[in-house]
Amino acid sequence: MNAIILSAIFGVVLMMASAFVSNRSLYKTIALACLVLLVGANIAETLGYSFFTIDTHNMLAFNKMGLFFNTICFTATLLYVFISSSEIERVDNYTAEYFALIFFSLCGIAILTSFNNLLMMFLGIEIMSIPLYILTGSDKRNLKSNEAALKYFLMGSFSTGILLLGIAFIYGATGSFGLESIKVGTLQMQLSILEVTGCILLLIAFAFKVSAAPFHFWTPDVYDGAPSVFTSFMASIIKVAGFYAFVKLFESRIETTSFATNPAVGVNWHLLFAILIIATLFVGNITAVFQQSVKRMLAYSSIAQAGFMLFALFSVNAFSKEGLYLYAAGYCLATIGIFAVLVRMKDYTFEGFNGLAKHEPTLAFATTVCLLSLAGIPLTVGFFAKYFMLAAVVKQGYAWLAIVGVLFAGVSIYYYFRVIAAMYFKSADENPAAVATSSTVKIGLAVVVAGIIILGVWPHALLNFLYF
Amino acid sequence: MYLVPLFPLLGAIISGLFRNQLSKTAAGIIASGAIAASFVVSFLLFFQVKSGGAIAVTPLFTFIKTSAFTIDFAFQVDQLSALFLLIITGIGFLIHLYSTAYMHEEEPHHFARYFSYLNLFVFSMLLLVMGANYVIMFIGWEGVGLCSYLLIGYWFKNTNYTAAAKKAFIMNRIGDMGFLLAVFYILQKVGSANYATVFAFDGFSSTDVTTICILLFVGAMGKSAQLPLYTWLPDAMAGPTPVSALIHAATMVTAGIYMIARSNVLYSASEIAQHLVAIVGLATALFSATIALKQNDIKKVLAYSTVSQLGYMFLGLGVGAYTGAVFHVMTHAFFKALLFLGAGSVIHAMHHEQDIRNMGGLKKHLPITHITFLLGCIAIAGVPPFSGFFSKDEILAAAYAHNPIYWGLGVAGAAMTAFYMFRLYATTFLGSFRGTQQQLSHLHESPISMTLPLMVLALLSVVGGFLNVPEVLHGNAALHHFLSPVLTSESKHSLSHSTEYILMGSSVAIATLALIFAINKFSKNPELGEATGLGKTLANKWYVDEAYDAAIVKPLNSVSLLFKNFVEKGIDGLVNGSGKLVQYSSRQVRLVQNGQVGSYILYMVLSMVILFLLWWNQPILTKFIQKIF
Amino acid sequence: MPIHSLLDATVVNTANNYFPIGVQLLFAAGFVATMLIMSALLGPKRKTSDKLANFESGIEITGNARQPMAIKYFLVAILFVLFDVEVIFFYPYAVNFRELGWAGFGAVAMFVGFFIVGFTYIIKKGALIWED
Repeated sequence: MNAIILSAIFGVVLMMASAFVSNRSLYKTIALACLVLLVGANIAETLGYSFFTIDTHNMLAFNKMGLFFNTICFTATLLYVFISSSEIERVDNYTAEYFALIFFSLCGIAILTSFNNLLMMFLGIEIMSIPLYILTGSDKRNLKSNEAALKYFLMGSFSTGILLLGIAFIYGATGSFGLESIKVGTLQMQLSILEVTGCILLLIAFAFKVSAAPFHFWTPDVYDGAPSVFTSFMASIIKVAGFYAFVKLFESRIETTSFATNPAVGVNWHLLFAILIIATLFVGNITAVFQQSVKRMLAYSSIAQAGFMLFALFSVNAFSKEGLYLYAAGYCLATIGIFAVLVRMKDYTFEGFNGLAKHEPTLAFATTVCLLSLAGIPLTVGFFAKYFMLAAVVKQGYAWLAIVGVLFAGVSIYYYFRVIAAMYFKSADENPAAVATSSTVKIGLAVVVAGIIILGVWPHALLNFLYF
Repeated sequence: MYLVPLFPLLGAIISGLFRNQLSKTAAGIIASGAIAASFVVSFLLFFQVKSGGAIAVTPLFTFIKTSAFTIDFAFQVDQLSALFLLIITGIGFLIHLYSTAYMHEEEPHHFARYFSYLNLFVFSMLLLVMGANYVIMFIGWEGVGLCSYLLIGYWFKNTNYTAAAKKAFIMNRIGDMGFLLAVFYILQKVGSANYATVFAFDGFSSTDVTTICILLFVGAMGKSAQLPLYTWLPDAMAGPTPVSALIHAATMVTAGIYMIARSNVLYSASEIAQHLVAIVGLATALFSATIALKQNDIKKVLAYSTVSQLGYMFLGLGVGAYTGAVFHVMTHAFFKALLFLGAGSVIHAMHHEQDIRNMGGLKKHLPITHITFLLGCIAIAGVPPFSGFFSKDEILAAAYAHNPIYWGLGVAGAAMTAFYMFRLYATTFLGSFRGTQQQLSHLHESPISMTLPLMVLALLSVVGGFLNVPEVLHGNAALHHFLSPVLTSESKHSLSHSTEYILMGSSVAIATLALIFAINKFSKNPELGEATGLGKTLANKWYVDEAYDAAIVKPLNSVSLLFKNFVEKGIDGLVNGSGKLVQYSSRQVRLVQNGQVGSYILYMVLSMVILFLLWWNQPILTKFIQKIF
Repeated sequence: MPIHSLLDATVVNTANNYFPIGVQLLFAAGFVATMLIMSALLGPKRKTSDKLANFESGIEITGNARQPMAIKYFLVAILFVLFDVEVIFFYPYAVNFRELGWAGFGAVAMFVGFFIVGFTYIIKKGALIWED
């Protein structure tokens, strides 16, 4: 509850700041302070100090898992704001409003990690998404940004419609919105056709939100068109939060599904998920190969990474749960890091990265570590994240799916290493970075790199928090 | 307790990261200071252990956690590791001190790099010794291997030196694989790698124990340079001389001894492994002693002598004289560090001349080096009451109790040791100077920071033996009692006092004879020409390197050539083909993304329809998929 | 959290129950269609220029309707909708004023408070300044 209420209040605080504080450089200080408070308040609640006691009639249920996920997201946002605040200031005049929108998004995330009711889930998703539509279009004078915002909004509304339809079907079948009473897709009881339809509609809507193929079409255009700083936020924190909600919604079904015992009844979720996973891995990885712009490549790579995160949905066990947390942390770190470098480049094409290692060794090194982590090379957190996901699938008895995953991870190395090769083995006459790197950014990148490597060597530094 | 390895680690990080900023003095002070600090802590720990006597395991944090086992990052300080800590940090400190002067001609940032490596080396060794389980030991084990690679190849611009570094690394890797397999085996059988748990585990069959012991021993063979993996150690002379001293005396090669002494419980349970260790040790001792007879490089002689002495230690371990082996590690650390540093002092004075045929008569030019070097030679030759006598004698006595043939061969090796050491001494320091005039004019005694460690080590070499005077000589065997809680399974040999006196007397007599013979032979007319016949074979180290080259490297090369020409083409085609396929499909798939919201929504609706159709036809599909997989 | 007033609907949730709704839909659509067709067929037709012109509340038309307008209109319109919704919520509150008591008053005060904060924001940001 701390997180939900405080993030909303902090959003309002920043709005007010924009109205009453004329010194624009103060905004980011306020935002950082608020984020620190937010992280602190969330940790306090994890430790049992809840500042607000509100009877939510069991529509929200707070547990350590969700609160810990909040901590990951908020900390990642803190890091993100720390690194990119100067870039956010450069987008347009409405700096404080951007921060406010980020806070509102965080409020949505806090609801998504604690919903216990489909209505709350819907609210959380909408609260999280609507600020993003605005952020996508925040570069008002840029036609691409406008187009992206409109596309995002249109398709987002479409998926919202599907989500609502799904909720309505489930309500129609069971007469309840509560998660615990409907048990999405449980096969213990005979499912009515309405309920299954509702579940599949929910699945589709969420697949859209986390950009899983074949509902990913908005992703490249939106990520490419949005201002790079906000793409960073959308591609990292928002995405993993969506995954958390997705898994939270569907985890209760797999615990009770035993399709083999009675193949005639219900839904073989494994089949549906496997189709989604393979399609997502295929589209993400294969399309990324041919891209000319690093930013667009990263958009496709985020689809590919979504394919890996879907493994957590496929097999719900301890491995996949730990893997999801690790993936969330590692993916956020790497994405934030690499976009922090990207926003500094003159030219977003692969050629634009030529010779970066010579002119800006710090940036090049940080980019390399982030890309290695995304590719899942050992000694980075990306490796363990992928490892946990694949191990979970293997444990579930679907080794062939893990093999498919590994093959596509192999493809991903190609396009990630293209950037590294451009930075280190090709030369450019002039400095490819457009903006001088401030020491703040360097500190932030150092934190990112340190985080990636520490978690890559010792993943339990993070995972132990799940069990304390 | 964690302070002991922390100081060298910090030292390594500081001098490594700020190598461009630090002056030489600063780097030297930081590095030496770090080791000195950890020496002080080790000293305190040692007395704590000595008074308390309890084995203390301190877990720092959970290192690896799986459902099958948990491995803590834990340190264990007991009698054995406390002793090793003293040796490592004490001698390590002296070598650091010595290095500040020896390496003074280097560029500042290379100088700092050198000290960073050196500190890291000591850190790895401390980790190896202090770990409370085999996994931590393995981390230190690998760290030591890495640092030896870095230091042997310190002058990386010389390709011969980097080749030597590579050789050391590869030979070590072969041994490491054995160690790693042993760790896996233990984990699989016991479910824990903690020493306490493993040694108390009683579910081992005799095959298990033997397999584990032999695998561990393979690791020790690599790290401690035993037959057949010893060839890297003489080549490792490519590194700076203090590094050789460090490798030979305080760190690295003693790791194997430590590991087996640590696992003494396991070895005592496996007679086959013990025999293997003893035989390999003895063979190595003799084999390398013969090679040392004919070497002309001052450092090579010392290197082969180390291999030979390590052979003795393994002999001791193999016959169950664990204390003797550890004792020999300690005394050997004293006099071998002394000899190497002395050799370094000579080389320093001779401007990097290492061939003893071009030396001679250095006695009057380098008085301190001469005296200390002589003391070291006497100690290694095993003349009472110098330290080498006590330790070597303890091993030999245990060997006699085990099998008199071991003893006989051991004494022969000892005689050879005395012979080649005094050949080295006589050729270098006695007689007349044979170098160039220019070298003669520059001959000088080394600075105090180099001679001071020499003097300290000389003192230790002389008196070190009194730590463990055996009962037969009315001593109290202090070390023996100190180590007894850790080395519980030691077999007590039951030799009568008179037998022991005879054994000691004869070995001392033989060694002394060899010594006097060598001095007489080489002080006046050293052998300067090329050796012939058997001597040539020895000078060429029994052609072992050549044999390895012919038996392993050449066939591998030809096989790899075969693979390159035939197999690779097919694989290349496959690999490049799949790459091309990916690129082609990428070009096609990307066209779906056409930028029109309308078509996107159309695709999405179509996908939804397909998903629903799939759901309707699921039983059929599932059967289909089950048929495929 | 079940919403009790709607819960009964679930008990009779079969395709049969939708039949009356279907009939009504058909009937409604048919009625509209019939009326339109009837009036088109039966009604008299006099086509004058006045009749064909666009109807603008009886005022003569001036120019094209599709001309760019100041964004302020939209801004004011959307703000109006927001505050209109706020006012609409007062009606049910007014009806239940006594029953809800102080707790209800607190809730409504909070609700209004949010709007006041928003109102301050838009005033401060100059969203309602007409001239610039």
